[in-house]
Amino acid sequence: MPAWQAGGVGGRARSARPLVRVQVVALAAGVLLGCGAAGGRNRITLWVHSGPGPERDVYRASIRAFNESQNEVQVDLTELPEGSYNDQIYAAALARQLPGVLEFDGPYVTTYAWAKRIIPIDPFPAIRAVSRDMLPTLVSQGSFNHRLYTVGQYDSGLALWGNRKLLAQAGVSPPAEPWSLAEFEAVLGKLRRSGLDHPLDMKFNYGAGEWFTYGFAPILQSFGGDLIDRRDFRTSRGFINGPAAVKAMTLLQNWVKAGYVNASTRDDADFIKGRSALSYVGHWTYASYRAALGQDLVLIPMPNFGGRAVTGAGSWNFGISADCANPQAAARLLAFLMSPGEIARVTEANGAVPGTFTALKTSRNYGPGGALALYKEQLFRDEAVVRPATPAYPVISTAFAEAVNDIIAGADVKTELDQASRRIDQEIEDNRGYPVK
Amino acid sequence: MATRSSETAPWCFAAPGLLLLSLFLVLPFLLAFLFSLTDQRLLASDALPTGFVALRNYARLLADRNVWAAFRNNLYFAAVVTPVQSALALGLALLVNRELPGARLFRTIYFMPVATTMAVVTVIWSLFYAPDPGLLNRLVHLLSLGAIGPRDWLRDPRLVMPAVMALSIWQGAGFQMLVFLAGLQAIPRDLYEAAALDGAGGWQRFRTITLPMLRNTTIFVLVTTTIQALQLFTQVQVIAASGASAPVNTFRTVVLLVVQEGFRNGRIGYASALSVVFFLAVLGVSGLQRALLRGRDGP
Repeated sequence: MPAWQAGGVGGRARSARPLVRVQVVALAAGVLLGCGAAGGRNRITLWVHSGPGPERDVYRASIRAFNESQNEVQVDLTELPEGSYNDQIYAAALARQLPGVLEFDGPYVTTYAWAKRIIPIDPFPAIRAVSRDMLPTLVSQGSFNHRLYTVGQYDSGLALWGNRKLLAQAGVSPPAEPWSLAEFEAVLGKLRRSGLDHPLDMKFNYGAGEWFTYGFAPILQSFGGDLIDRRDFRTSRGFINGPAAVKAMTLLQNWVKAGYVNASTRDDADFIKGRSALSYVGHWTYASYRAALGQDLVLIPMPNFGGRAVTGAGSWNFGISADCANPQAAARLLAFLMSPGEIARVTEANGAVPGTFTALKTSRNYGPGGALALYKEQLFRDEAVVRPATPAYPVISTAFAEAVNDIIAGADVKTELDQASRRIDQEIEDNRGYPVK
Repeated sequence: MATRSSETAPWCFAAPGLLLLSLFLVLPFLLAFLFSLTDQRLLASDALPTGFVALRNYARLLADRNVWAAFRNNLYFAAVVTPVQSALALGLALLVNRELPGARLFRTIYFMPVATTMAVVTVIWSLFYAPDPGLLNRLVHLLSLGAIGPRDWLRDPRLVMPAVMALSIWQGAGFQMLVFLAGLQAIPRDLYEAAALDGAGGWQRFRTITLPMLRNTTIFVLVTTTIQALQLFTQVQVIAASGASAPVNTFRTVVLLVVQEGFRNGRIGYASALSVVFFLAVLGVSGLQRALLRGRDGP
């Protein structure tokens, strides 16, 4: 039995003890593991995504802080470009070259959990303590087959950003409650008449990738559709291409056809330069929007397009690879990253929802009256739907994003969604429903 | 003794090349063929071992509209690019072959795009193609005296392939120009002098001396350009990955589809079947081309 499992069993009995004590146990076990024999520090490689966002700088600072805070574990940080991150870890997993600890983009983690390329982390006492404090959406995102595989420092928020000045010019006041579909379309009409050619920005410049699934599946779910049957993840037929889904995606297509959305937008400029009054996007634009609009920036709840308001959830999360030479030390790193101070460090920078209840309490942006508190309220109102945690997710996301891309360009909605459903169901069938042992 | 060494010597010389070819070309192809008969995944689980699925992947290919679209895009691209790019290269070669001051400078200029990485070329051309303030839109506006309004070159399903073709021809023609130039310089001067003495005009000299003498060069250029055109990948990959694009089936090529199915969706078996079919298709096209070009009393 590996040492970390023994530690886990022991830890279960003491699970009520304070976090500090548990870390001491973990530390002792880590030293006993043998790497201490060389007299040096245990080395762990950590892979993170790196893009134009502020997260890269935060990870550097966090890892420096971790390395300086103790003498046993030395973490080497490797940054991979965000655009091809998923492809790169896929290739690394294939070559059995995964680092000790790595980041996953939302539900992409499930494939690795199913293929046993990462290990369950619930046996580690420090992680168990953290997971009890973690937001339910993040627990659900990191779980597969009743085990916890990853922890996330933050959850995402999806809603509308508004330009107060442009809204006022059109006689629209930012609502406290979600707009209904009729209200939302009336607002678009008013904004159009006030002189805005494309009043709504939907970040089509991100391209036919994960954003399309993350951002637009909630519209479909608002009408009662979904990407897949969540009861057993066996079929998407009637869900991704059912009447509700067709209605939702026809709506999206109509907004583009009516010119409310600029389908060929290339960057964030539409909203920042005041060509659009509303921006449909996640929390990650907060810093740049805030810098551009200042006090004119207002956060507007996700509208209730169909039967209920639905928003997205889930974000980057950390797991430990099966090849990790020292899982105990890796768990220690995860516990450090999940400490309130580190969560505050990253969420202050990227505007995301702090991933634990403890960190949420002390957050400036998410406190009462905080600029971003709306994201938290949406989560707590159970409006957030996590992307399906199934090993089929990469195919689901590709199929749906390509369908959305074609639909935006004017293709027949039902045909495109049928095609996506066929691709997904074929994938599940080819993998015999992803059996677990 | 002498006969023995003459039998083994060629093999010894060929051995290193043959070894490398079989290791990096023949073996992977055989593996791809084997994988294409299985449901091999990129990341397999112990709970689901790879199984033999006979021809299922091939049956799926036939029913997959993405595959048909990819082959259509490839053929469209090759059918336009091969003749246009080869003709343009020949034209450029004729121009820079003249003994005029500055010919060397133009040779370098025409060759420069070849030395530029295709990914970089594509990114820069995407800026030219930008919908509103793009260079190309301004040019079209100016040349058409305002009659043709701005187009969204990379998002319009009918314009995206021509846009890719234009940048590919621009980038690639310099290389074929160099090949043609070498061919041109190998043509003996006295042939032209004799023809001039006989009173042949410029066009006659080109048709009766230059073209026949360039026959082998032309075959080489056409065959290699066709194969390169069929392998179109970088340009469409960059466009697919750089934000708002046209519907993917209006520009995705077979190689891009293979990469996406294999490495993004993890369907190695399926991607292998696709690459086997693609290999046979390319083999067929170049075989046909050779047969046609050599058919007429060729070398």
